[in-house]
Amino acid sequence: MAIAKAERLMNLALCLLGTRRPLSKRELRESIEAYVEAFGPGPGAPFGPGRSALSGPSTGSEDSFNRMFERDKDDLRELGLVIETVENLDGEVGYLARRDSNRLPPITLDAEEAAALGLAAKVWQQARLAGAASGALQKLRAAGLPEDVDPYESHGALEPHIPVHEASFEPLMLACRDRRPVVFDYRKATAARPEQRQVEPWALECWRGHWYLAGWDRDREAERVFRLSRITGKVRSRAGKFRAEVPDVVTVRETVASWAGERADGTALIRLRKGAGYPLRAKAVAARELGEGWDELEIPYGHGLDAWLVEFGPDVVVLEPAELRADVVDRLRAVAKA
Amino acid sequence: MAANAIDQTRRMLSLVTYLRERPGARVADVARAFGITPDELISDLDVLPLCGTSFRGGDLLDIDTDGDRIWWRNPGALGADTAEPLRLAADEATALLVAARAVATLPGLREGDRLALLRATAKLEEAAGEAAGASSRLSVTFESEGGVFADVDRAISERRRLWIRYYSPARDQLSEREIDPIRLVSVGHTYVEAWCRRSEARRTFRLDRVAEIKILDEPSAPPEVELRDLSAGLVQPAAEDPEVVVEVGPGGRWVAEYYPHDSADELPDGGLRITLRTPDPASLRRLALRLGRDGHIVSPQDLTDSARRAAQEALAAYEGEQAEESVDGDGTAGA
Repeated sequence: MAIAKAERLMNLALCLLGTRRPLSKRELRESIEAYVEAFGPGPGAPFGPGRSALSGPSTGSEDSFNRMFERDKDDLRELGLVIETVENLDGEVGYLARRDSNRLPPITLDAEEAAALGLAAKVWQQARLAGAASGALQKLRAAGLPEDVDPYESHGALEPHIPVHEASFEPLMLACRDRRPVVFDYRKATAARPEQRQVEPWALECWRGHWYLAGWDRDREAERVFRLSRITGKVRSRAGKFRAEVPDVVTVRETVASWAGERADGTALIRLRKGAGYPLRAKAVAARELGEGWDELEIPYGHGLDAWLVEFGPDVVVLEPAELRADVVDRLRAVAKA
Repeated sequence: MAANAIDQTRRMLSLVTYLRERPGARVADVARAFGITPDELISDLDVLPLCGTSFRGGDLLDIDTDGDRIWWRNPGALGADTAEPLRLAADEATALLVAARAVATLPGLREGDRLALLRATAKLEEAAGEAAGASSRLSVTFESEGGVFADVDRAISERRRLWIRYYSPARDQLSEREIDPIRLVSVGHTYVEAWCRRSEARRTFRLDRVAEIKILDEPSAPPEVELRDLSAGLVQPAAEDPEVVVEVGPGGRWVAEYYPHDSADELPDGGLRITLRTPDPASLRRLALRLGRDGHIVSPQDLTDSARRAAQEALAAYEGEQAEESVDGDGTAGA
């Protein structure tokens, strides 16, 4: 049975952390049992990087060792390890993880702060971030984070969860982190077909349980906000750097709030049946009784109000403005004739 | 299993630092501190004796457990500085910082808790250094009604019953009920899960739909109920709930984003045929009205009829008032 990956990574990490001088790839290969078992002892002569085109029986396993070694280093870097690549006088490349660059700076948290972080660490359900959050907490525990407080106990019965249902979340999170351009197919709210978009992703934001991406749309040469649930198919990375400058403050919520009709640019006058439409009453800026079981309300008028008012059926009659009244009548006719 | 190997490696690196300081640590205590099960810890302890700074050098970690306590017989195998706490990775800092900042935005959170979160966040940012940089590229806001949240939170900690006036969008009605609160759950919006004394059943109430709330003097006594895992979503239709079929055009695709459904099949015009289940199909009359020409309810027929009648009745109010110019549509509504 092949040696488990966690054992191999752990040994590589300890070797790199334990050494005072850079270790060559050959030394690491000979020191770590998982490599020896999978690929045999390394070739006698030192190999420089990128020299895998050498012929001979060991070339195949040399290539696979190199690939595994590169992947393993990438995995350790994901865990936060800073691995330096150093070339010695003979041109041989060596690796080490210096203590100075890998040490957690001193951090002292009191019991309340520890409980707060304990609660925060349970918020993610998304596998990668849930793993990262527990990992962070474990590093802090190792550094002396107080552990005698149960976060649920001290925070009452509070369970915040960050929902992530979109497959595009993880690749976009990594692309935002590493500032890598991406390309994906996106279907606009009312479009019949998806369209390919080339985007420099800036930031992701979750609002009311839905994820949005803000970024630079290369084809439209403008800032755009995308809803992750409308991304179809895979998110692919593009080579190269961002071309547009990333703004200091990226505002996703304001854009989305205006889509959702949260931004009102006027008011509307409606008649509402008594006892009905509590959310409309809660938003009303003025109200008066009309008698005969009806009230008159002045409510904020923004995008999407027509669709919302239609939901109340015969309990709402729009009085003003005429444009809203026509929109509502139009919608009602579509349903009445169906 | 690649993600697991990475998580396990990360955990074992912290574990050696932690165990070095605590000779004879108890399995149960260490598992709790690391947020893992004792079995997971034992499987880590099975791997650690196969690890060292150099396999050839014969300096493998001599870590051993009798199932109760953990002993490390050669802590010198790792130099003192090899076992120091490790810096946070970018993803680790991001995961913890984004979550802590999000919880701190919850309106109604106890001030003491909010301050602890903010203090912890500031310290963490400092300790993470540049690894904290990318955390600003991810943000989460939880919605909640601050006043209602604070009252529910207080009622839970003081074990008292609540009286609420609650708005049900399905019926467009307010109703009064007494509830014994169990917990607050935030998934985008914030909800209180409670035992409803009126229906004698477990119910979930969205805080922004609570029109009025009072903390009662009576003690809260919810029956012992098994807590459901609500992280996947609060709406979890039952298999026996009636089925509703909705067909929407491209402009109604949002329905599939907002309503949990069994299936959503593509239609040739770019629309969707969505099948969902709900305990109360009549509650979807609102949806039928809202969709207008962007879609319609295919079944049950009762629901289609009641939406049509409601629209006709609503139109009568407009047509009765004045003869208005025809704003007839172009008839593209899929009927």
